[in-house]
Amino acid sequence: MTDLILIVPELVLVGAALALILIARHVERAPSAATWVVVAAVAAMGFGWAFSSEGSQIGFRGTIAGDGYAQFFKTLFAATLALAALLSVRHLDAERVPPAEYYALLLLASAGMMLAASAADLLILYLGLELMTLCSYVLVGITRDRAISNEAAVKYFLLGSFASALLLAGISLAYGVTGATGFAAIASAVSDRSLGQHPVLLVGVALVAVGLAFKIAAVPFHAWAPDAYQGAIAPVAAFLAAGSKAAGLAALGRVCLVAFAPEQRVWSDILVGLSALSMAIGSLIAVSQTNMKRLLAYSSIAHAGYALLGLISGTPEGAAATMTYAFIYAFMTLGAFGIVIGLGQRGENLVGYHGLARTAPWTAALMFLFLLSLTGIPPTAGFAAKFGVILSAVRAGYVVLAVLAVVCSVVSAFFYLRVAVLMYMTEPEGAAPGRLPAAVTTALAVAAVVTILGGIFPDTFAAWTVPP
Amino acid sequence: MTTYPILTATTFLPVVGAAAIFLFGNRLARWMALATTLTTLAVSAPLYLRFDKTSSALQFVETTAWIPSWNVVYGMGVDGISLPFIFLSAVLSVLCVGASWTAVQTRVREFYAALLVAETAMIGLFAATNLFLFYVFWELMIVPLFLLIGVWGGAGRIYAAVKFLLFTLAGSVLMLVGLIALLYATGTLDFRELARTRLGVAFQAWLFVAFLAAFAVKVPMFPVHTWLPDAHTEAPTAGSVILAGILLKMGAYGFLRISLPILPDAIQLFLRPMLALSAAAIVYGAYVTLAQTDVKRLIAYSSISHMGFVTLGIFTLNRSGLEGAILQMINHGIITGALFLCVGMIYERTHTREIADYGGLSQLAPIYSTFLAIFCLAAAGFPGLNSFIGEFLIISGAFSAWPWLGAVAVWGVALGTTYILWLYYRVVMGDAKSGLRGLRLDLNAREVATLAPLVLLALVIGLYPEYVLGFLRASVAQLLVTVAAAGEAAGRL
Repeated sequence: MTDLILIVPELVLVGAALALILIARHVERAPSAATWVVVAAVAAMGFGWAFSSEGSQIGFRGTIAGDGYAQFFKTLFAATLALAALLSVRHLDAERVPPAEYYALLLLASAGMMLAASAADLLILYLGLELMTLCSYVLVGITRDRAISNEAAVKYFLLGSFASALLLAGISLAYGVTGATGFAAIASAVSDRSLGQHPVLLVGVALVAVGLAFKIAAVPFHAWAPDAYQGAIAPVAAFLAAGSKAAGLAALGRVCLVAFAPEQRVWSDILVGLSALSMAIGSLIAVSQTNMKRLLAYSSIAHAGYALLGLISGTPEGAAATMTYAFIYAFMTLGAFGIVIGLGQRGENLVGYHGLARTAPWTAALMFLFLLSLTGIPPTAGFAAKFGVILSAVRAGYVVLAVLAVVCSVVSAFFYLRVAVLMYMTEPEGAAPGRLPAAVTTALAVAAVVTILGGIFPDTFAAWTVPP
Repeated sequence: MTTYPILTATTFLPVVGAAAIFLFGNRLARWMALATTLTTLAVSAPLYLRFDKTSSALQFVETTAWIPSWNVVYGMGVDGISLPFIFLSAVLSVLCVGASWTAVQTRVREFYAALLVAETAMIGLFAATNLFLFYVFWELMIVPLFLLIGVWGGAGRIYAAVKFLLFTLAGSVLMLVGLIALLYATGTLDFRELARTRLGVAFQAWLFVAFLAAFAVKVPMFPVHTWLPDAHTEAPTAGSVILAGILLKMGAYGFLRISLPILPDAIQLFLRPMLALSAAAIVYGAYVTLAQTDVKRLIAYSSISHMGFVTLGIFTLNRSGLEGAILQMINHGIITGALFLCVGMIYERTHTREIADYGGLSQLAPIYSTFLAIFCLAAAGFPGLNSFIGEFLIISGAFSAWPWLGAVAVWGVALGTTYILWLYYRVVMGDAKSGLRGLRLDLNAREVATLAPLVLLALVIGLYPEYVLGFLRASVAQLLVTVAAAGEAAGRL
């Protein structure tokens, strides 16, 4: 029974999802369902914090951890869920998506993310990630009548299941060598029986890293992201960018730092490659994008690279830097997507941003804030996050990688601030955009507060970033 | 001594004003901006009045815990080197508001908000006592100027704004890596503590290069100056004034605050290339200036030459050169700021910046011509005006350190006199151009009030430079002690 306390947030979300499915027939309007999801998310977060001091740190025979690390990511996923729910309202009504099904999937995907973050066993980790990904496939293709959406869902599904297979193969190889799937057991088996150089284990580590690299859309395992983001409705893209990436990072952090701690040399090298490629290729390809969702997709690829900078060091400080990065990135990318969503159809293409500062000064100012943060210009949270991960890379001796990171952020300034150029320095085209829906405004306000607060007081979240 | 944090108040008052203007100031934006900048100047007054000129220590120090996990504190304080720049920033901000009164008619609210954010960045940068805070303000400065150039600028404004942004950002991110490396190696970012730490020479050299990338772009030093003519020319008057008056000084200030005291051994290694680049900037900048046909572009290019004098003075590493360089930074802020104001005022009436379209302004606009004469003479280094003292100190510093550089500098002065007086001749003398007749060209009372303080400053510094030099003396002496120790060490090798 005490074990259940560890998964209270997951239970709350699953319960809410089941309840929504049961009364699906009667849920016709998106706002009421969204309110329900927000309440569930807040409840999950609240219960999680309320029970965090009780019970053991690990339960279910050592397969699920309830430590600060899990707590941190669960809070992040609950916040992502709540914001994504608010951002979805407009699209669901416009695209005639059945709200109950949509929100149930969103809830279940979030529960999967939470499970992945608290997993202390490779199989539970796989279970959590699969729950998340399976729901995500459906969410990407939820606008059944749109061909582009179907295409995106199929691409995402094919590549995603391939990645899941690789992850599973890696898990089985690791099990074959060490005879364990629990993180602590794997680590102790490796060091006790000095399996560090076992070739099969090395392949297993590499396969697990590759499988997880898919989830965070790191180059060269990023190909699904631009198509999936573009084909999905914008709130789903936002949810994937913020939540799915954080879940992947959470899993990667725990697997690398706990289970494969003795193999640091191997995964460190892999992560260095992934990080460098993601930053460089994500930033460079984003330069030529004209579709806002694709632009943000490539931006999310680049940000996966920055986030990995922290993990590379393999130190608790580095992991904490990555956690902060995932947290802040979630809010700033949800903010940027929130503007795209708030502007409706015109928000999806760069053309729609012409002269926005004149027709909608507040919307433009908020977008400018999120873009500055994504670029990493102080005093926004994006700068503090970037500073943390680069500091940890320099500490670990990866100075060249740090230089590459800052050079890429100059490249990224070009495409982020091109949107600012359009908003502020060109003449408006067409009619002024309508008022932002109240739900979207609420979500944007939360994202903006975190983006500003995290920039002016970079230590705001430091107390909660407990490394695994 | 003081009951409230003067530096914090001075720094953040403008941004509070900016927020108020953005929120409420539809009709009153101009007046609110004027009130904010004047209040800021008034609030900063105790700094100059109560400053102890005999001490090289930081004064009006404020320290608060900020980011414990990176060992970064919120630290504010001024010494003799930074104080004059705070004054200059506060004064120029007031004048920028005055100069934009009628020139800016679109999106007035946003314009003044951006201007005031820039003021906060400028003052904060000079008041910061640690590298992290310095960097935050350094980057914060880019954003409002990007908007000022890109939104309210001339025809090529977008190209100029993006070029400005990418150049300055490319420079400053390398500084970020240097900053992080410093933090990692020493565990602190406090300027004074860093100056006490003696880093390895090779490490210093790497850091010098990283910081040089940021500073050289801002100064701008030859050959990374190419963003400047576009940015200065396309920016609205207030933007040009801030760019020339303060932004360029940030780079030179970086050399004084970071490179010289913290990386003294690296300075010895890079001395010759730095001096050569300075000399190149002086001469090349002056020749390119001679060839300009656009008034604003001409003044922009002249800045490259003038800033070459400043970096030359800094890297002479003697008292005369350093004091001259700092004084000349102030002077350049006053004079070039004033020249951009003059160009903006006449452009508002004629809507042309081509020198060929002007002529005979002395008949049509006698008050304007008088002001322009004073500022042109000041720019040419006329005795009795401020630039003369600065250039004289720099050149005498250069002669005593590297005689051939003194010769190059004199050559630069001669060229400088040529281009500025030739400009004056073409614009003011001769017969009035037909296109100018019938326009109300002369200045009104507001514009006179905008220019008058700068005339006053030019005269006061020209006649009694001790007003500024007195502030500098103790801090420069302290700086020289550090540099001289490194010089002896290098000499022994």
